[in-house]
Amino acid sequence: MFSTIFKQELKYWFQKPVFYIYAIIFLLLAFFIAASNAGIWDGITGTTGSSRIVNSPIQITGLFNILTIFIFFLFPSIIGVSIYRDFKSEMHTILFSYPFTKTNYLFAKFFSGIVIVSTIVLMIALGLIIGFRFPGTNPEIVGSLNLMTYAKSYLVFILPNVLFFGAVVFAVVTFSRNIAAGFITVIILLFFQGAIGSIFSEPEQKTILAILDPFGFSALDNYTQYWTVSEQNELQIPIKELIIYNRLLWLAISSLVFGLVYKYFKFSQNALAISFRKAKGERVVKTNFSGVTKIILPKVSHNYSFVQNLKTLWKLSNIDFKYIFKSLPFICILIVGILLLIGTLFTVGKIFGTETLPVTWQMLRGGNIFSLLVINVCTFLYAGMLVQRARTARISHLVDSTPIPNWALLFSKLIALLKMQLVLLAVIMVSGMLFQAYNGYYDFEIGHYIKELFGLKFLNYVVWALLSIFIQTLVKNQYLGFFILLIIAIGTPFLSLIGIELSIFKYNEGPGFSYSDMNGYGSDLSRYLWYKLYWILGGSLLLVLSILMWVRGLPNSFAERIYIAKQRFKAPQKIAFFTLLIAFVGLGFTIFQETKSKNKNSASKQAELNAVKWEKTYKKYENYKQPRIVAVNANMNIFPKKKTFDASAVFTMVNKTNKAIDSIFLNHNALESTFEFNKPNNLVLEDTVFHFDIYHFENKIQPGDSLQLKITVKSKENTMFQQKSPVIENGTFINNFAIFPSLGYASGGELRDNKTRKKYDLPPNNLRPHPTDSTALGNTYISKDSDWIDFEATVSTSKDQIAIAPGYLQKEWIENDRKYFHYKMDSKILNFYAFNSARYEVKKELWNGISLEIYYHKPHTYNLDRMMKGMKASLAYNAKNFSPYQHKQARIIEFPRTGGGFAQSFPNTIPFSEGLGFIADVDDENEDGVDYPFAITVHEVAHQWWAHQVIGADVLGATMLSESMSEYVSLKVLEHQHGKNKMRKFLKDALDGYLIQRTFETKREKPLMYNDGQGYIHYQKGSMVFYALSDYIGEEKLNGALKKYVEKVKFQEPPYTTSIEMLSYINQVTPDSLKYVLKDMFETITLYKNRVVDVTSTKLENGKYQVDIEFEVSKYRNDEKGKKYYGEKVGDSLMYTPKDKTTPIYSVPLADYIDVGVFSEEEIDGKKKEKQLYFKKHKITQIHNKITLIVNEKPTEVGIDPYNKLIDTKSDDNRRKL
Amino acid sequence: MKLIIKNLTKTYKNGVKALDNLDLEIGIGMFGLLGPNGAGKSSLMRTIATLQSPDSGEIIFGDINVLEDNMSLRKVLGYLPQSFGVYPKMSAEDLLDYFATLKGIANKIERKAIIKEVLEITNLYDVRHKNVAGYSGGMKQRFGIAQLLLNNPKLIIVDEPTAGLDPAERHRFLNVLREVGTNCTVIFSTHIVEDVKELCNEMAILNGGKILKHTTPQNATQEIEGKIWTKIIQKDDLEENIKMYNVLSRNFNPDNTLNIRVYSETKPSEDFTASKPQLDDVYFIALKQDEPLLTS
Repeated sequence: MFSTIFKQELKYWFQKPVFYIYAIIFLLLAFFIAASNAGIWDGITGTTGSSRIVNSPIQITGLFNILTIFIFFLFPSIIGVSIYRDFKSEMHTILFSYPFTKTNYLFAKFFSGIVIVSTIVLMIALGLIIGFRFPGTNPEIVGSLNLMTYAKSYLVFILPNVLFFGAVVFAVVTFSRNIAAGFITVIILLFFQGAIGSIFSEPEQKTILAILDPFGFSALDNYTQYWTVSEQNELQIPIKELIIYNRLLWLAISSLVFGLVYKYFKFSQNALAISFRKAKGERVVKTNFSGVTKIILPKVSHNYSFVQNLKTLWKLSNIDFKYIFKSLPFICILIVGILLLIGTLFTVGKIFGTETLPVTWQMLRGGNIFSLLVINVCTFLYAGMLVQRARTARISHLVDSTPIPNWALLFSKLIALLKMQLVLLAVIMVSGMLFQAYNGYYDFEIGHYIKELFGLKFLNYVVWALLSIFIQTLVKNQYLGFFILLIIAIGTPFLSLIGIELSIFKYNEGPGFSYSDMNGYGSDLSRYLWYKLYWILGGSLLLVLSILMWVRGLPNSFAERIYIAKQRFKAPQKIAFFTLLIAFVGLGFTIFQETKSKNKNSASKQAELNAVKWEKTYKKYENYKQPRIVAVNANMNIFPKKKTFDASAVFTMVNKTNKAIDSIFLNHNALESTFEFNKPNNLVLEDTVFHFDIYHFENKIQPGDSLQLKITVKSKENTMFQQKSPVIENGTFINNFAIFPSLGYASGGELRDNKTRKKYDLPPNNLRPHPTDSTALGNTYISKDSDWIDFEATVSTSKDQIAIAPGYLQKEWIENDRKYFHYKMDSKILNFYAFNSARYEVKKELWNGISLEIYYHKPHTYNLDRMMKGMKASLAYNAKNFSPYQHKQARIIEFPRTGGGFAQSFPNTIPFSEGLGFIADVDDENEDGVDYPFAITVHEVAHQWWAHQVIGADVLGATMLSESMSEYVSLKVLEHQHGKNKMRKFLKDALDGYLIQRTFETKREKPLMYNDGQGYIHYQKGSMVFYALSDYIGEEKLNGALKKYVEKVKFQEPPYTTSIEMLSYINQVTPDSLKYVLKDMFETITLYKNRVVDVTSTKLENGKYQVDIEFEVSKYRNDEKGKKYYGEKVGDSLMYTPKDKTTPIYSVPLADYIDVGVFSEEEIDGKKKEKQLYFKKHKITQIHNKITLIVNEKPTEVGIDPYNKLIDTKSDDNRRKL
Repeated sequence: MKLIIKNLTKTYKNGVKALDNLDLEIGIGMFGLLGPNGAGKSSLMRTIATLQSPDSGEIIFGDINVLEDNMSLRKVLGYLPQSFGVYPKMSAEDLLDYFATLKGIANKIERKAIIKEVLEITNLYDVRHKNVAGYSGGMKQRFGIAQLLLNNPKLIIVDEPTAGLDPAERHRFLNVLREVGTNCTVIFSTHIVEDVKELCNEMAILNGGKILKHTTPQNATQEIEGKIWTKIIQKDDLEENIKMYNVLSRNFNPDNTLNIRVYSETKPSEDFTASKPQLDDVYFIALKQDEPLLTS
């Protein structure tokens, strides 16, 4: 009997067209994604250049699994429906009386569904396999076909997931006899998976997450998250403990669910109904003998007017809205959504474990994920439910034969949907305000909430609602409709991949908006609104089509519907349609005219071609000697109201070479500008594409000669649809590179990927030159046309604002109702400056003869003291340890978060984002939270030494001298302030950040001292390395060496210093036994794998404790592609095979000093704190070690490198509790 | 107000001709549409009720061209489909208010008044706060009548309303319908001949999408006055009798003999006795004539 039912089910599906539609959709989807990843669109868009193999096992597993998630949405209609179908067709009354067993019936139904689903899954695999190798893809990034990977992904991940989701859906639909319930279950399970991920997001909870994640992804992630590029390309998917446990757990849960179905399923089963009210029993007897003889209906007036129809549709929308609000799916999604929302509110904006104040924009940002998921899902789903509502309830014939016009019905559904969206948006507002109140933050900006949620965001969801109504009207099956909407919503942004770049061609795309306390929504807002207007017009067109296609009465074939639509297309519809069409196309064309690129290529393709042309045309001038800028005198006029600027400057230049110079190459921007030299010259080349001009000087500029260049430049004005000017109303921040020209060829815009370069016949790009290349030390990494300059600037702005440039304020005056500020610098600075203007409040303090100033947005007073403290601490530490401060003033200047979330150090001037420290909510009691307004201030002030005194040549490793050093200073100052224990959080974050980010490296990772400017190397790794180094050789010794180094190189003229030079100073103070540290940390990429294997402690007779620790220490190296190696040559690596294992552990030879610690806990002020019982470096020479220590107290925990000072790929097994 | 149907044709995707060039004129009063299952009754009624569009033909009600201007018809239409569902968790009162709104009764007080009235007419007033979804079959049918009355319809279409009702319910239902239908056109489809006999002043027999006979119940029976014959036979003789005579119907007697009714201009044979024509006979004669001839 099993096989009869099973075959019957399969036959049913194989005869259904929809099965083939699903199969083809997934085949195409997989094909499209695989082919895109493999670079099939390279001809249209830019080249997909990468050292990453797109079909490596890990990539395939990822893609295969993600695509499978979409199939889950089909489960209710495939697996769920198999039994429900028998109920719906009322076959069950007959079927259930047939002589087959429950086992046969249930198993056949369930597994036939699984087979059908697996067939569709197979289509994904097929699509991927074909897509990766389709002619036209880039064979350089596609590896050979490995069917084992597909099989493994399917058996280990996909099949168990399919069984789990299948079992749950099967159970829900079978018992509720409601496909919608099954559908909601899928959505809730997906939410659940997301929720688990965000609840257990801390690194310590990785193992729990790995077990609990129903998809098994987190378990896999546990083993693969730190894989380097080469490992990602080459390694097979590991099937290890956590993955196996996870899979077994979820298989068990699936079996349990199926078992419950088996247990409770009865052939006579009635649908399960959930009711919260208990029905009262009541005997009902109807009157059987009454009759009517005469009927006189009261006279009523009927009103079929337009206005009455409007009133009616409003009333109908209320009824539909009530229906949504009371329906179980909505309540379920809302509850899960609110939990998710609360979860995000607690973590939004957390930096280094410290939260920000719950300002309104932060709350709104926290609500984004809720609105994105919940509002969209509910809109897509309920559009279908409402459109189909009358049909589902089988009341449609009654409704459809009433004299209500189609448009009134349709609009009633739309308005009900919009009301639902408003309620969901209100949920964000209420949650946000409750969260603020909970945190004791009572500055409720209700107007801001209302404006953003109900004014701006709502528009976005209206556009989705319009599309949803259209699709759900067009498609008879609301779940298919949902699926289509989901694909559209997710897929639209990816259309750029195939060269559709302009937003006007992508439904509901367009510029977004962002808010800053300083500048509000800025000029983003009008652009956002224009695009939304455009899309609302587009959506309204769809709505008119929906009215034409609206199903009234019996459903018809598609051809008939088109025929009916044509009949319905009468004057009013025509007027509405064509008015909207003209408005839509007209606005679209206007935007198109303004935003289209002048080239026939897509923007990314054009950028690539330009880069090639730029390099091929002008690279030859790279080493053509140019005069150096020695002084800049700038005039900057900022017009905040008009959002424009104009500027002028005089550059004084000197020929510092020993040869006469005959040409100057002016590399400028696209702004309207004029250039005038004070010596006779000819403009021999004016390139209007690359803005590269060549001036030829009849009378050559002799060595030592100087000349002047006068520049004027004017910003463009913002247009309705595009931002063209960097000036904003309050909080302008522009640096010199965005305004003024530079001299000579700039190599920054060259293509970096060697495979792409080869395609265009360009030689390989070997990064920056190596520091040993003595010819490459002529420029700093900040500028190519100057060394140290004299600087002076006059900045003007609106009367109510303060404008700032580096230097000291000489004079301040009002002229023409504008405010002018004249700044002059008294010492040489780098050719690197910025202009700021806003309505600032100023906090000033004089400290040791230095004027400390913070320019801040009036309400942002929360962290000014911490920043002041940071400035003092940094100035003190740097001055004491390295050299005196070169200025008499230090200024922090707040700028809007919309300009970026960073701080940047210019001479005596530090623009600092409002989102980064000004609203931090530092809790000094919190062990895991870093006082980052303080820490970042220290870092930025340290740059006044480490960049503005010591600046590296433009070769590999230059940023180690600035960023790594500033980070080191910041860590050291933090350590002195807060103690060593508090560093652990910082170091662990740095370690995790380094290990994660290096996996995204697409080019090559170099050792710290040869880094190519990657943030994860110079910040995260750099901070860890210098911190560890100071621990090894001592802070005093290290700083001593650095002091000597600074003395030698500060404010030096070319040739500039390099990382090699700095390391030579450090080398001098490093004992021979620790030289390996320099090699491991600076010269190579070396990673440890340290772990505690076992620990026991016994109480001795004298009251002391003996602790026996067994641990492993090993380290390996990575080459620049992330390939592992263990020694310089064959045979010099260590090897150890643990007793219970078969695979040996390898290591680079060891003579390393590693921290060994024994800890106990003690209570201080009611808080448990860690106490060191033993802490010492041990020299380790082998992988496997056993040591015995005696401590005075009962130990609770031991650790090998317990503070994570070393770069260790698995940092959580360094400690072991007793 | 007259309902005129001309050349109405509808073919379904599966090739079935549900309406086959159908012509019909219906005046004021109760009109019974009689036909077996699958005759096209529902298709015809749905087409008149603007829920389905025909392939060709014309429907005119008074001065309304129904197919061109379905909205005008809907204003005067009361329609009760063969089976219908309701929104769950809505009481009769709420649901009627919903329909009254749909039917354009703008004034709240008027709405209340008419809802009260139709509830009383259909004897649902006592259960007006109960959810309609929980009603019994008869109550639900009565609710169907209640909603239909809301716009004081001129054309009432009820599709097999008595199927599945107990005798008391059926009786009451027909009474209400009769009352309602005094001043307007009521089209009432059924396959129960009894309903038509009790209720209708005009009738038509529909089969295979065609009108086989359009008449009044009185005329119909008068027409065959003296042409219906009956006799009692043994079960085993049935085959033979069917071959020999035009047997319209047969039914068992308690003693297991069969009573057959035969249509014949003259007395078929001596053992037949004349019988008073029933409407059933008319129905069967029409169907019989429409049946494809079986050569045996």
